[in-house]
Amino acid sequence: MMIPILAVGAITLATIGIGTWGVRFARTTSDLYVASRAVAPWWNAAAISGEYLSAASFLGIAGLMMQIGVPALWQAVGFAAGYLALLLFVAAPLRRFGSYTLPDFAEGRLGSRRLRNLAVAAVLAIDTFYLIPQLKGAGIAFTEVAGAPYSVGIAVVAVVVTLYVALGGMRGVTYVQAFQFWVKTVAIAVPAIALLIYLGGLPHRATLFGDAVPRAPAQGLRVNLDHRQTVEFPVATTFEAAGQARHAIAGQIVVLEPGQIVLPPHAVVPVSSGTPWQTGREWARPVRSRGEGAPLFIYSLLLATFLGTMGLPHILIRFYTSPDGPTARRTTVWVLALLALFYLFPPIYGALGRALAPSLYVTGETDTVVLQLPTLAWHGMGGQILGAMTAAGAFAAFMSTSSGLLISIAGTISYDVWGRGGRAVRLPVRRRRFRIVAALGMAIPSAVALAVRSVDISILVGWAFALAASTFCPLFVLGIWWPRLTPQGAAMGILAGGVVAIGAITAGVIAGAQTLTGPIDSILTQPAIVSVPLAFAAMIVGSLFTTESPDAGPQMLALHSPEGLGLEAIDRARA
Amino acid sequence: MSLGASATRRTPRDELADETAHGELYLTQLRRAQLELALLALVAFGGIVGSLPLLFLLVPGLERIHLFGIPVAALLVVAPLLAIFVAIGAIYRHRADALDASFRDLIHDE
Repeated sequence: MMIPILAVGAITLATIGIGTWGVRFARTTSDLYVASRAVAPWWNAAAISGEYLSAASFLGIAGLMMQIGVPALWQAVGFAAGYLALLLFVAAPLRRFGSYTLPDFAEGRLGSRRLRNLAVAAVLAIDTFYLIPQLKGAGIAFTEVAGAPYSVGIAVVAVVVTLYVALGGMRGVTYVQAFQFWVKTVAIAVPAIALLIYLGGLPHRATLFGDAVPRAPAQGLRVNLDHRQTVEFPVATTFEAAGQARHAIAGQIVVLEPGQIVLPPHAVVPVSSGTPWQTGREWARPVRSRGEGAPLFIYSLLLATFLGTMGLPHILIRFYTSPDGPTARRTTVWVLALLALFYLFPPIYGALGRALAPSLYVTGETDTVVLQLPTLAWHGMGGQILGAMTAAGAFAAFMSTSSGLLISIAGTISYDVWGRGGRAVRLPVRRRRFRIVAALGMAIPSAVALAVRSVDISILVGWAFALAASTFCPLFVLGIWWPRLTPQGAAMGILAGGVVAIGAITAGVIAGAQTLTGPIDSILTQPAIVSVPLAFAAMIVGSLFTTESPDAGPQMLALHSPEGLGLEAIDRARA
Repeated sequence: MSLGASATRRTPRDELADETAHGELYLTQLRRAQLELALLALVAFGGIVGSLPLLFLLVPGLERIHLFGIPVAALLVVAPLLAIFVAIGAIYRHRADALDASFRDLIHDE
């Protein structure tokens, strides 16, 4: 119990330390927002990856893999592929354009104040949807690690992140993020490798890849339920609940009251409602004919993550910190390599969890497999130390993503909404505004996270990606590569994509589509495959029907002309 | 290359700096070349990633082939795909920087 708390505390202190050390560099407006555009590719790539690897990557992929099987890994593929799309269409031109924020780009490219306001609204919506699940993850993990109430984890992460964002600005946070990337990678890699060595390879292969199903170990299985839980018994089993012997027939659905459940040795483990019951062979199949492994769902998920990453405001703001276009490209390739390294490890937890942590199928807490596996698979000191590592890594994940999102929220409000004085506002005033907004920007999502304890993390993250892919992705791709885009067309596309994406997901939540299996449910749960083409179409059609033809010559010059041409006006704007 | 009236001859750099029709033409060519390169990389990526789910669905025999005791289908999803992403990204970066460099040469040489 003590070791994980110490590990989390050490990571938190190191984070604050590096953040305050970074303050020394925050002297100018440019420092505060874009770290003076002087961050080397290697540092920046680690910082981008550190910011990107959130609760969904650190805990979610392994948990979903344990729950539904190998199809969960398409999520990792999509999360990494997003950076390829960013590299191909956005990285270098966006950096060359030289804006501070996304709304800056919208106004600078299309010259419309109204479009800027629309972009501000979209940034705040995407960031808030993304911030809530991070805080929620922190609350759940803190309960798991320290036995503290749900609200304590949220409060700890919210306060720490607000402190170092408000004090350090972008420059300080860049070093923190780079540090957090390596914390997360070590915290997921070392326990995974140590466990594989300790266990002598993957155990229970038949449960993972053959015809077997998860069973209780030779000494039986004790599960402590802290809440009422509905489970399905796949085969007839005698078990003990609250000290009394009970019997369930095959396929029976049983509501278990809080307390201890005891399953006899080698009994087939019941699964919580919503978890499919499958043999190893079915579990290891990467594509299925229906459900979350269905091709339509996989393609829609890949589309949302592939195109959504380029529209995540807290990620894009990091590309403005590169010194020039080619550096932005090099940085992105590094990010791809770093993410590829990280994503090698979550599948190990998913597989070991299925083999060695069957109690999580009963409690329905497969999402916590990364935190719980080390102590469940390795009794004694070794497991405790490894468990402390994954706990520390999880907190690094919540803190780094939250701080990136908070920078984006605070930067957007203090620069785009409050900063009507433009770049003329003096630095101390600007910094004070940035700090006030940072505190407010964290308070509201924290309150929401306290209220939505029952809403699934992956639903909220899915909203953020679908919304980003349906609004900013078409704005960037067309704004950068198509001179004919008009502000009217852009606004139509953002509105059409945003409204359809939010509408579909809201309808899906109301209709309970997450538990159904038809093609309509796939689209309501992950609407990108419909909303993204629609947003592109609305932008193109809207632009073609706008009467006056825009002159995008200077903007295209700023976006696409390489560095070192000796054009003074361009070079000055980019400095 | 000389057109005779060398005293008033305008270089591509002047055209670009003054945003004349000629300058815009040079830049449009660069933009189209960069876009073609990006789309080519996208097709390579989409072809590989997009065909994989269908391949798994249409060739169920893949799951019976084991490598290191793990079904090949499950192994293919993460590590090899991510390695391919990095490779496509690295090749793209090299080509995109080369396009920029040749544009720079065009502007400086004349």
